[in-house]
Amino acid sequence: CRGGLAERLCRLQNRERSAISFWRHQCISDAKIPSDKSGVLIVKILEMFEECTIQVAICQQLEQLPATLSSEDAVINAEEPILKVLFARETAGHLKSRPQDVIHIYPPWQKLLLKNTDVPVIMNTYFSQKVLLNEHSEVREKTYGLTKMLIKKNIISLAQTLRLDDLDDELHQESSDNQVACAPQIRNNCDSKQHPLTQSAVNDSLLEMVESQGAVGWREAQVRVVIQRVYCLPAREGYRSHVQGNKPLSMFCRLCLLVQDAYGMFSEVQLQSLSSADDVEQYYRRWEGKFCCLAGMKILQRTTRGRTLGLFSLIDSLWPPVVPVKVPGQSQDSEMMTTDLPPPSFCYILTVQSGEVHVEVDEEEQISNLYQPPAVHGLNEILQIDGCNERCSFWAQVLYLRLQTKHSLPIAQREIWLFVTDSTLQNVVRITPKVVAVSVAASFVLSKEITETLSVASQLVFFKDALWGNGRIICVERTVLLLQKPLLYSAAGADLSELTGPVRLDELDSTTQANSICAVRGTIVGVNESTAFSWPTCDRCGNGKLELCPQDRGLLYCNQCSEVVISPVLKMQLEIFLSCPSRSQSTVKVKVWHEISFAALRLFVLINMLLSLQSYEVQSVLGKEVGLLNCYVHSVTSQPNCVALEEIVLL
Amino acid sequence: MDSTLPAVAEELLKEIKKAFEETSHGTDTFFFRLKFIFGPSAVPALDLVDQRSVTRVTSPSGRTAYQVLGSSGKLYTCYSSCHFCTCPAFGFTVLQKSESFLCKHILAVYLSQAMGACQELAVSEEQLTSILLAEEEDEG
Repeated sequence: CRGGLAERLCRLQNRERSAISFWRHQCISDAKIPSDKSGVLIVKILEMFEECTIQVAICQQLEQLPATLSSEDAVINAEEPILKVLFARETAGHLKSRPQDVIHIYPPWQKLLLKNTDVPVIMNTYFSQKVLLNEHSEVREKTYGLTKMLIKKNIISLAQTLRLDDLDDELHQESSDNQVACAPQIRNNCDSKQHPLTQSAVNDSLLEMVESQGAVGWREAQVRVVIQRVYCLPAREGYRSHVQGNKPLSMFCRLCLLVQDAYGMFSEVQLQSLSSADDVEQYYRRWEGKFCCLAGMKILQRTTRGRTLGLFSLIDSLWPPVVPVKVPGQSQDSEMMTTDLPPPSFCYILTVQSGEVHVEVDEEEQISNLYQPPAVHGLNEILQIDGCNERCSFWAQVLYLRLQTKHSLPIAQREIWLFVTDSTLQNVVRITPKVVAVSVAASFVLSKEITETLSVASQLVFFKDALWGNGRIICVERTVLLLQKPLLYSAAGADLSELTGPVRLDELDSTTQANSICAVRGTIVGVNESTAFSWPTCDRCGNGKLELCPQDRGLLYCNQCSEVVISPVLKMQLEIFLSCPSRSQSTVKVKVWHEISFAALRLFVLINMLLSLQSYEVQSVLGKEVGLLNCYVHSVTSQPNCVALEEIVLL
Repeated sequence: MDSTLPAVAEELLKEIKKAFEETSHGTDTFFFRLKFIFGPSAVPALDLVDQRSVTRVTSPSGRTAYQVLGSSGKLYTCYSSCHFCTCPAFGFTVLQKSESFLCKHILAVYLSQAMGACQELAVSEEQLTSILLAEEEDEG
């Protein structure tokens, strides 16, 4: 230690250390508790947790503790004061305390009173000793010693800085942990007629509002903007310290608006969290395209194109503005308005301060001229877009849904692939594919309503602001899926007619890739007998794990329906090898499924089929023609030249 | 449960500041408490204060950052709007192991503020930007 304050602390520390070890030594060698009780703090631990290396114990201060009382008798008296006692790591390790333990804290200890709390903090508790009360607790000690107790650890936010000035507490920096706490309801126009936000003048420049942050009166100033898009973003921030690993992130999302002011400047406004993504649709229908007033926003971030590509791809799709916008700094004659401006390179992300209403939407008013509804295109046009990271909107029929199996991730975080088509792909004989895969990113918040509807039957879905890039369509953040046609959209020449006739898939050929769906026909040239498998399933619920009936071993029982299954559906699975003329160079392996309802089939046919799948009669299957099967392509490999397919049922 | 240590640390530092403003020295109590809360960072942080190693760097727009000359002679940057320091101990002890919520440099910044031992340096916007970005380039 060099001279000055450090040396001073060094000396004090050394003295303290020798006092502590002397005291501990004394406690061990002399089993009796020292009789001098003046200044001794007696506490009973109620709750414990850890912060950094300090153990924090919420305790009740006990007046006195006669030696004959057991710890159960030292009942919590509501009038006795509560203390927060801090123990250093070494002391805590020495004490090995648990809730309900009684601790004697000998002087010198320190007491600190914090502002705004009435729970005093006790520190420098090096001279602490646990009190063993009677035989019962000793026995308990021994058993506790065997099991390691887990103590909750509080992680301290880096955002919580310390203020040394004596300002009022309201001006202290808020920790950003609580961002996802719900802000109060956003009132719509009806409410505001009775309770207007304020009477102050309404501004029309976002930049001015942002730049005047902190100036006098900025809290009351309002900005009038147009809501260009309504969507939800997954609310990841603020949850890092609270999420237990397996809680699906897709459950939490917050409502966001992309707004534009009279100067053409954009801003993303993050509002309250939603309990489910289903709610986004109603906000979209009520608010998109309308004017709204923002007040007292907090600036979350100033972001640039390079940092948030997703946000800027959406902004680019809305550029240039459809009506002339004002030019900052010029007098506001109409000659000074323009649409000839370079695309934005920065954007402010704003959020609401908790506790006040800040967004008022003019729902009654008409749609603004500045609003750009999504431009709908046919899938064939989208597939021909040249660029990367372009936002596109389309209306398509979902044929098949597949969950990408990455077993290391929980289900809610896995990617989903939707296979879609529309009349522009189906009705024309062309080189473009008949079906397109749309991948739904794991971070995209899929509403429950859509997931449920999609898994039941084929649906027409409107994909609003999906992303096209690298030959794929993806649903990412800021994309919205709707089950109904949007109220407003521009469809320059797009063919939005419904599909007539059955849907056709591309046939398997040399261009077929993995993660696609196709139709296959060919001749059976081989059967993988080891994969032949058949099992009965419940005809009511499809449960594949039927059991033998306990009462009558000849019958089958479904424990999901809690009933006997009288006519089970027999499911069969088998891997067959096909020779396909459309892809003659490859070995085509198809996992086929069949279901046969017991009741619908005569017994001898059934036995025949079963036998033909078993090893006895493989010969009878070879050479058979297999007609168009709809399949999902698992993998395509070139060495060996093999395609692995799985028969699927389209929605 | 809200965290306790930052509130305790803040109160301690406020007390130290008040004492130093009035008498320009602290009592032994402050040192004992500092040691209890900050553990092994306390003595090195006080050493940095003794050496006047902390400089508050400001730019015309009002942005600030702190630079601390470490014991090894290396200059570390600490942010003012959140707890962050470019020293390796911060990355290890605070971020990875959560054994402390400050490193000795950040503690030295607070102590220097409380005791009036901060050096001041005014720089241009570009210079402050390059101070804040310099660490990124090194790691790049």
